[in-house]
Amino acid sequence: MRPRVRLSLGFLFLLAAGLWFLPYGLSSYAIHVANVIIVFAVLAVGLGLCMGVGGQVNLAQVAFFGVGAYATAILTTHAGLGFWLSAAIAVAATAATGLLVATPALRVQSHYLGIVTLGLALAFTNWVTNAQIAGGAEGISNIPVPTLPGVDLSSEYLYYYLELIIFALALAFGLFVVRTALGRRMRAMRDDALAAGALGADVPVLRMTAFLLASVYGGIGGVLYAGLIRYVAPESFSIANMFLLLAMVIIGGRQSLVGCVAGAVGLYLVRELLVDHPTFAQMGYGSVVVLVVVFAPTGLAGLPPRIRQAIARRRGRGRETAAQLAEFRPYPDLSEISLEGGDPLLSIDGITKQFRGLKALDDVSLSVPAGQIRGIVGPNGSGKTTLFNVVSGLYRPTAGRVRFAGADVTSRPPYRLSRAGMSRTFQNLRLFGDLTVRENILVALDRSRTLSSWRYLIAPLAIVRRDRDLRRRADEVLDRYGLTAFAALPPESLPYGTQRRVEIARAVACRPTLLLLDEPAAGLNGDEVRKLGEMVRSIRDTGVTVVLIEHNMGLVMNLCERITVLAGGKVIAEGTPAAVAATPAVIEAYLGDSMDLPSEVTS
Amino acid sequence: MQVFFQTIVGGVSLGAIYALVALGFSLVYRTMGLVNFAHGNVVTVGAYLASTFYLSAKLPFAIAMVVAIGVTAVIGLVIERVLRPLENRDFDLMLIGTIGFGIVLDALVIMIWGATGRAVPSPVPAAPLSLFGLRIRTYDLVVLAIAAIATVLLVLFLSRTKRGTAMQAVAMDHEAATAVGIHVGRSNAIAFAIGAGLAALAGGLVGPLLYVNPALGGTLGIKGFAAAILGGFGSIPGAIVGGLAIGVLDSFAAGHFQGYSELVTFLVFTVIIMIRPTGVFGERTVNRA
Repeated sequence: MRPRVRLSLGFLFLLAAGLWFLPYGLSSYAIHVANVIIVFAVLAVGLGLCMGVGGQVNLAQVAFFGVGAYATAILTTHAGLGFWLSAAIAVAATAATGLLVATPALRVQSHYLGIVTLGLALAFTNWVTNAQIAGGAEGISNIPVPTLPGVDLSSEYLYYYLELIIFALALAFGLFVVRTALGRRMRAMRDDALAAGALGADVPVLRMTAFLLASVYGGIGGVLYAGLIRYVAPESFSIANMFLLLAMVIIGGRQSLVGCVAGAVGLYLVRELLVDHPTFAQMGYGSVVVLVVVFAPTGLAGLPPRIRQAIARRRGRGRETAAQLAEFRPYPDLSEISLEGGDPLLSIDGITKQFRGLKALDDVSLSVPAGQIRGIVGPNGSGKTTLFNVVSGLYRPTAGRVRFAGADVTSRPPYRLSRAGMSRTFQNLRLFGDLTVRENILVALDRSRTLSSWRYLIAPLAIVRRDRDLRRRADEVLDRYGLTAFAALPPESLPYGTQRRVEIARAVACRPTLLLLDEPAAGLNGDEVRKLGEMVRSIRDTGVTVVLIEHNMGLVMNLCERITVLAGGKVIAEGTPAAVAATPAVIEAYLGDSMDLPSEVTS
Repeated sequence: MQVFFQTIVGGVSLGAIYALVALGFSLVYRTMGLVNFAHGNVVTVGAYLASTFYLSAKLPFAIAMVVAIGVTAVIGLVIERVLRPLENRDFDLMLIGTIGFGIVLDALVIMIWGATGRAVPSPVPAAPLSLFGLRIRTYDLVVLAIAAIATVLLVLFLSRTKRGTAMQAVAMDHEAATAVGIHVGRSNAIAFAIGAGLAALAGGLVGPLLYVNPALGGTLGIKGFAAAILGGFGSIPGAIVGGLAIGVLDSFAAGHFQGYSELVTFLVFTVIIMIRPTGVFGERTVNRA
C-alpha cells in the first residue's frame, strides 16, 4: 500500500507541475481552448456528483451553468456591481435555482426526473432568449474583466491560473465529499434509496444536497465562463451542450470524478480536432456514449480496474485463498439491565392496510415489551412483511396507529424511525451493491444528519476525524461478526449466508432499540441457522428488542419468547411457542388437515 | 368566447400530434419500462423522410408517409437491438443509451438534410372551413382523422392479436412471459418498431403544420413526453387525453405569453408532475420491500 501511495503522490506532483507549466507551450488559441476545457471540467465534476454519485438524473446542469453566467453578466453590466461581488451573488443564485430544480426529485426519480430537469433547462433557455434583461437572442456583451490586484486577468494566460486553482479546489472538495460520510450516504441512496432510508439516511435532504452540489459547481463554471468569454448568449446553454456534457460524464465514468474530468478534457479535445466537421464529431460521441453504456458502463474510469482484474486472472487466482467467514463473537452480556416489565416498546393498534381490493392487514394489534424476542409467523401471503413495512414506515396504513418508544410514529418516514431507534433487514436482502461490505456498515454507523453537512465547508478536519472514528468502529463490527476478511469486497461476491450476516450486522450497527428481522434464516443451512439463533440472542442481551418474521419453525420455537400468528391479514393466535403450537386455529391455518409438526417448513 | 374556442381548435390538431408522440412513448414504456429519449429525434427523421419522399420524390402524401414509417421502424429495431443487453437490468443506463442514439440521429439529420429547415405545403386544399363562426383548417381535420385511426388500430392490435396480447403479457411480467414461451426480446423489438412508426407518423403529419427543421423533434418529443406523463404513463387513453391537453395548454400559453409560452408550458408541467406523478389515468405502483 505504502509504495503505491508514494507513487500516486509523485504522479500527482508531476501532473500539477505539468499543468502549471502548460501555458508556456501553448499558442493564444490553445490557451483559450484550455480555459474552456477547465470550465467544462468543473461542470462535469458537478454533474458527476449529482448523477454518478447521488444517482439523481440531472439534465439541467447546463441551466445551472447558464444561471451562473447570466447572473454575473446581468449584475456586472446592468447593476454595475464589481465582478467578484457579482460572482458571489451569481453562485448563491445558482444554488437557489438548484434547490428549486431539486424539488421534483423529492417526488419523482429516474426517467421522470430526467424529463422534468430537461424541461426546466428548456424553460431557462426560453426565458433568456426572450427576456429584455438577458439581452434576448443577442445576449449580453461587455462583461468587465475580473480584477485581481497585481494580476491582469484580461490575459488568457493569467486567467488560466485563476481557473486552474479554482478547478483544483473544486475537484479536491468533490473527492473529499465522495470519500467521506456524505458521499458514502449519497452512493448508498443511489444503489437503494429504500434501504438507505431504513438505515437513517434522510433521503429528501440528500437528494437536495446532490442538486445543490451540482448547481454550485454549475454556478462556479458559469462565473468562470462569464469572466473568460465576457459575453453570454442563449446558444451556449442549449440542450446540445447539455448532451455534450452528459456524454463527457458518461464516457469518462460517471461514478468517478477524475473520470468525469478525463471525459471532459478528452471529449472537448476531440471536438476541437474535428472543429470543421461538427456533425461528425457529434455522431462520434453519440455512438461512443451508446457503446460505453452497453459495454463499459463505468466509462474510462472503470477501465484500469478491469485491466488489473484481467491481469490478475491471467496470473492465476491461486495466490489468494478464498476469504473465510469467522465465528461471531457474542456481545458481553448486559442482561442484568432489567428488561422485564415497563411499557411496551412497540405497540400496534388496529392496523389495517388495504391495497385496492385486497385487505393485506385487517385490524392487527399487538404489543412487544422491551427486551423480548417476538416471532411473527403465518402462511405465505398472511401479511407479515406488510406489517413490517407499515411499522418501519414504508407503507402508510389505511387505519390504525403504531406507537414506538412511547411516541405515536404512524406514517413517519423510515429515516426518522431509524433515528428513533428502529432498524430492519429485508426479506430479499437490500445491501448496497456498489459499496464494499465495510462501507455498507459505515453507512449504518453514521448517525449524523445530512443537514449538518455544512461542516464540510468550515470544519473539514472534524469531518476527517469523525470518519476515522467511524472506520475504527466499523472494523470492530466487522470483527465481531467475523466479516473482517470480506471488508473490502462487494457484497454480491459473497455467499448468500454471509450476505445475510452482513445485513444483520448492518442493521445492528444503527444501534437500534428495536430490531425487525424479515426472514433472517431464509436460504441458510442448518448450521448457519443455529449460529443465527445465537447471534440474535446475543444481540437481545445487549438490550435490543427483536421482532422476527420466520418460516423456519425450529428456529422460531427455540428462539422466540412469544409468537404472534397471522393468517389472512388477521392475528389468529398469540402466546408462548408451546401454547401457540397447540392452538387449533394455528394448526388449521398452517397445516390444513395434516397434523405433522412444521419443523421443516422453510420459505 | 369566440377567441376561447378558436384557441382550443387551434390547439387540438397539434394536440393530436402530441398524442401520437405520447402513444409511441407509452407503448415502449408499458412494454419494457423504458423511456426512449431518442423518440423526439425519430420524429425529426420521420418528418424529413416524409417531406423528402413527398416533395423530392413526388410521391403522394399517403405513400410518402408509409415509406417514412417503414424506414423509421427499422431505426427503432436497431435501437432496441443495440440496447437489448441492458433490458430489465439498468434503466438509467438505458435512458442514457437512448440519449446517445438521439445525439447520433440529430447529427445524421443535419448531415443528410442540412441545418436549415423546409416548409411542406398542405396536401389538401388550404381554404379553411367555417363552422359556427370558427375557422377550421381542412388539414387539421385530416390530422385528427389519421390520429384517431392510428389509435384505434393500435388498440385493436394490442387487444385482438396474439402478438399484441403477448406484448401486454411482457408488460405485466417479463419473467412470467418468458416462462410461457414468449420471446421478450422480439416483443420489445416490435414495441420499439411501432413506437418509431408512430413517431414518423407524427413527424410526417406535423410537416405541413410546422416548419420542418432539425430542432423540430426535440420540442415535439418533450411535449409528447409531457403529454404521456400528464395522462398517466403507459396508458393509451391517457396519452390521447394528455396530448390534447398539452396541445390546448400550448395554444393558450402561446396566446397569452407569446415568446414565453414554452417556459409556461414546462413550469405548469413540472407542477402537475409534482402534485400527481402518476398522471390522470396512471396506476399507483406499490414498492415492494
